[in-house]
Amino acid sequence: MFGLIGHLTNLEHAKTAAHQRGYIEYGEQGLDFWCSAPPQIVDTFTVKSATGQVIEGKYVESFFLPEMLAQRKIKTAIRKVLNAMALAQRKDIQITALGGFSSIIFENFNLKEQRQVRNVELDFTRFTTGNTHTAYIICRQVEAMSETLGIDLSQSTVAVCGATGDIGSAVCRWLDKKTDVQDLLLIARNQERLKNLQDELGRGKILSLDAALPQADIVVWVASMPKGVDIGEIPLKTPCLLIDGGYPKNLDTQMQQPGIHVLKGGIVEHSLDIGWEIMEIVEMDVPDRQLFACFAEAMLLEFEQWHTNFSWGRNQITVEKMELIGNASVKHGFRPLLTL
Amino acid sequence: MPTVAADPKVADSKAAKSKATAIEPQFTTAAYKDAYSRINAIVIEGEQEAYDNYLAIGELLPESKEELVKLAKMEKRHMKGFQRCGANLSVTPDMEFAKAYFAQLHGNFQTAYKEGKVVTCFLIQSLIIEAFAIAAYNIYIPVADSFARKITEGVVKDEYKHLNFGEVWLGENFATAKAELEEANKANLPLIWKMLNQVEEDAAALEMEKEALIEDFMTSYGEALANIGFKTGEIMRMSSHGLAAA
Repeated sequence: MFGLIGHLTNLEHAKTAAHQRGYIEYGEQGLDFWCSAPPQIVDTFTVKSATGQVIEGKYVESFFLPEMLAQRKIKTAIRKVLNAMALAQRKDIQITALGGFSSIIFENFNLKEQRQVRNVELDFTRFTTGNTHTAYIICRQVEAMSETLGIDLSQSTVAVCGATGDIGSAVCRWLDKKTDVQDLLLIARNQERLKNLQDELGRGKILSLDAALPQADIVVWVASMPKGVDIGEIPLKTPCLLIDGGYPKNLDTQMQQPGIHVLKGGIVEHSLDIGWEIMEIVEMDVPDRQLFACFAEAMLLEFEQWHTNFSWGRNQITVEKMELIGNASVKHGFRPLLTL
Repeated sequence: MPTVAADPKVADSKAAKSKATAIEPQFTTAAYKDAYSRINAIVIEGEQEAYDNYLAIGELLPESKEELVKLAKMEKRHMKGFQRCGANLSVTPDMEFAKAYFAQLHGNFQTAYKEGKVVTCFLIQSLIIEAFAIAAYNIYIPVADSFARKITEGVVKDEYKHLNFGEVWLGENFATAKAELEEANKANLPLIWKMLNQVEEDAAALEMEKEALIEDFMTSYGEALANIGFKTGEIMRMSSHGLAAA
């Protein structure tokens, strides 16, 4: 049994989703109510691999909303993630992915120090951030989509925004080792971490967002912020491939000029339909087949019976682990989303 | 800084290990002790109610009487433990306030008991009061003084067992109990929300947040309903009934 811990995009979305799912009483409530609502298992479904293997999964709605972070309700956000994890563990789910902001909250607020959640002692080997698979998928999206658009990687500059994060640093490692990308531009807020990453890679230029984006042929956006960020005013090269792997995914609404191609990053398509209802609410274009790569990581770990916290700890993702999860991804019928 | 030693009467109990520990200054302010006089009283009264209620349910269910008397006795022990917590901080619990606080829920239980409605009695005591106690204790433990923390940690483990007792009985009788549970939920859950609102400021003075209390309550209560046999949608609907009063 695998699990997915998810949340909705914002309060309006949450209200609509509650109505759609028939939880009308929840749909009428404001943020205060969502702050007090305990997690629920809202979907149970099966997934079939390309190999024919079938596994069962549960979707845990944490009732976290990004507004909680925007309003600095940090304690609430932490409670949401820990309670959802405790629920997954109580339901005996062997491996659960922390989707959306859940893994970011876990890492940023150091929740590994808070093992005891009421009467449950969390066993962190049962949880994965899913970031290794997400990073792998984003890299495959860079490789495949650049070819489609005629962007030659060996003559390209790739800007990674959120470079020092778990996913960002993994993407940098892959692009450095596995591709012949000409230049890497590293963008993040923390200068010390940027310097450490640059030292580790032995390459890459540290630049501000404003300075980096106009030089980039490819932008990998893996920064996550509760409100998103407006980059619509920064001039970009044409053609330019923008891989939107952050959260929320809203760069496509900002970039509508010709020659700028925005691809939703970190999304996979499964080769077979998945019998769940939840992805319609998560607003995927093809809800039966498309999903976040971090969720797919939990499925892959279940298919392979690797019941372990495959992606864990900040900046621990190696190219070897990306290859390992990547091979499993291909074997079980997942492929990177390549539809612009 | 003034320090208050534990009550000498409990010198042989485990909790008395903290006797020599000085009480941290934040627990000795007049504002803290004032709020504590009501919260502590509620907890003591809650345990007394639980004691009485389990004995009463035992009268309605002779085949489980022995087990219910055991639960009742545990509640009495908890009550005494919490009395020591108040004494340790030199706080006199405001029992008059606490009696009034529980009056409506107490009345509802008594009515159900007199009518022989064992399902409603279980819902009020074993689900609502226990989930309320578990929430309060879980949220209190991280912010409690060290003496009270030890006592409360011991108590909360027992309360989960009590919640489980009601759950098992109601689960076994789910088909016949379901309609009465829904009705009793509708009548009694709003009271819990009112009660939480009533002590929001006092709880805040003890660093206990209302939203965390509600969430913990809904977690234990919702889980109990699920174990009894309710489906997710039904649980979400039933839990939201309290909101009318929030």
